[in-house]
Amino acid sequence: MSPHRAHQRRFALAAVTPAFLLFTFWVAWPAVKGFYFALTRWDGLSDPVYIGLENFQQMVAGFSAEAGKSAKLFPVAIRNNLILMIGPAVLILALALCFASAMRSRVRGASIFRVAFFFPNILSAVAVSILWMLLYSTSGFGVFNALLGWLNSGLTALGLAAEPTFKVPVAFTDSKILAWSLIPMIVWTATGFYMLLFLAAMQAVPETLYDAARVDGASPTLQFFHITLPLIWDTVVTGMVFLLIAGLKVFDAVWVIEQQQSRPDSNTLATLMYSKIFNEYQAGYGAAIAVVIFLAVLLFTLVTLRLYRKEALEY
Amino acid sequence: MDTSGGRFLLYVCLIAWLLAVVLPFGWVIVTSARSTEEIFRAPFGWPEDWSGSLGANYRKAWVKSHFEDYFLNSVLVVSSSLALLLAIACPAAYALARYHSRTFRWLLVYFLSGMMVPVQLLLVPLFFQYKDWSEALTVALSPLFAWFGQNHVEVSLADSHPGLVLLYVSLSLSFTLFILTSFFRTLPTELYEAGIIDGCGEFRAFWTVMLPLAKPGVVTAAIFNFIGLWNEYFLALVFINTDKYKTLPLGLAAVSIQANYRSDFGLLFAGLVIVMLPTLVVYIFLQRYLTQGITLGALKG
Repeated sequence: MSPHRAHQRRFALAAVTPAFLLFTFWVAWPAVKGFYFALTRWDGLSDPVYIGLENFQQMVAGFSAEAGKSAKLFPVAIRNNLILMIGPAVLILALALCFASAMRSRVRGASIFRVAFFFPNILSAVAVSILWMLLYSTSGFGVFNALLGWLNSGLTALGLAAEPTFKVPVAFTDSKILAWSLIPMIVWTATGFYMLLFLAAMQAVPETLYDAARVDGASPTLQFFHITLPLIWDTVVTGMVFLLIAGLKVFDAVWVIEQQQSRPDSNTLATLMYSKIFNEYQAGYGAAIAVVIFLAVLLFTLVTLRLYRKEALEY
Repeated sequence: MDTSGGRFLLYVCLIAWLLAVVLPFGWVIVTSARSTEEIFRAPFGWPEDWSGSLGANYRKAWVKSHFEDYFLNSVLVVSSSLALLLAIACPAAYALARYHSRTFRWLLVYFLSGMMVPVQLLLVPLFFQYKDWSEALTVALSPLFAWFGQNHVEVSLADSHPGLVLLYVSLSLSFTLFILTSFFRTLPTELYEAGIIDGCGEFRAFWTVMLPLAKPGVVTAAIFNFIGLWNEYFLALVFINTDKYKTLPLGLAAVSIQANYRSDFGLLFAGLVIVMLPTLVVYIFLQRYLTQGITLGALKG
């Protein structure tokens, strides 16, 4: 080995060592230990007791009809996560694709729309949650309830309804319906990001394809479904997986709006995990929930890779 | 949508969404200049006493509800995390992108696999690891403290800023290395070789030639990490208990509980503005880099 190569090697090793050590001790090793703790019963103080798959069996048992109140917590959390995954994913993909194709067709003031739509993304989830908690409030200043109230009086004034159509105030942030109420909040926050993502992909599609389609008399709708969508398909799939994974991990919004307490009806997997560990001292069960989250992330990622186009497009 | 009717509908939709995004902020800012009593009496009015209520709400939030401490804590934690993260990740990413031995290829896979790990999976092990390590550090460092005449000094990683910074740096590594390695890969190696021929050592070649070239990538990585860490709530909630160590998101969540409990909404609106305003200012200056970063990511697929 030449002295230069040896020198190169020493430098390369020195450059990666700090990152390697930190990553190993703070990420990789704890991740492995997380899997082990999921197989134990542990209160966080005494030594963990190995119990095999009992924590996971307990989760599955929650789905049976005669499951007790505490066992039912897990299925409810799963239901809430499904609402938070599917609702926003469908709405955001549709809206973001519409907005992105609008931007591509050169609207006036496109940069203003871009900058404004993206802004909510970079706010802290805590601030956004509190903003929406105030918008949803049942006190006089709650904007949504005020709007419903005005709609009521408008309808009665026009003679379209004999009595108030909506029963105000609606408790939007009630635990039972919180997951549903969070959908508009997530759509409001995230649409701008996905719009930019899709817009960037659309701008890479060569204009000549559209020119050819126009010559052949294809309508804009037809162009969208036969040119744009197929060509940005991989980006759309990526966006969908981002949204599903985000819905799986929701913690901040529920925790903040529920005043930092775990409520049986509004739990997500992440808040259930938190309360199992820190309120009920069931660290083993908490770790098992985390493993479920990890496996779901892994599954989504693998499915995505299969959904990608098989061969690279040449254009 | 070439027809003028479709075009019109398009603008209506875009402007409606624009209003939906912008109006809530206007509402929060205006309401933060009204006293709680005023908010309850006439929920949607204009502030009756701009300067008086505005001053009262913000003074209460800034001083009495400790937003000044939370703000300072966030600045401290986030800036030291960013500095440490970039100091560790830049050389590592450069080496990983530059050298193609089999070990280094596997090492890159090892680092990037961290992007798949949800933070929840690390929570239990890290929380209890911090307890053990703090005890070990206390024992290990006690001779040193004794030498300074300090007996019974307890070192704690949990509930401390250094502990939180270590977590933030480690957990941001995968994503940062992902951005930076793909940036370093795009740089031409001719410049590096010219540097070596001119007599630079490996480190000088990295520091004076390659790193300045990678500046756009480093800036992108720094901005994305800044936003993520400035807004981070979950880890801070778990690892910080003492009020005087809380960061802004943690402080805002705590103030929201107080404000709901005491029905002091003037305070909450002011707190919300205090948290959102710096982000808005940063955004106005840096939005170009942000949208560039997303564009880059989208094209990479």
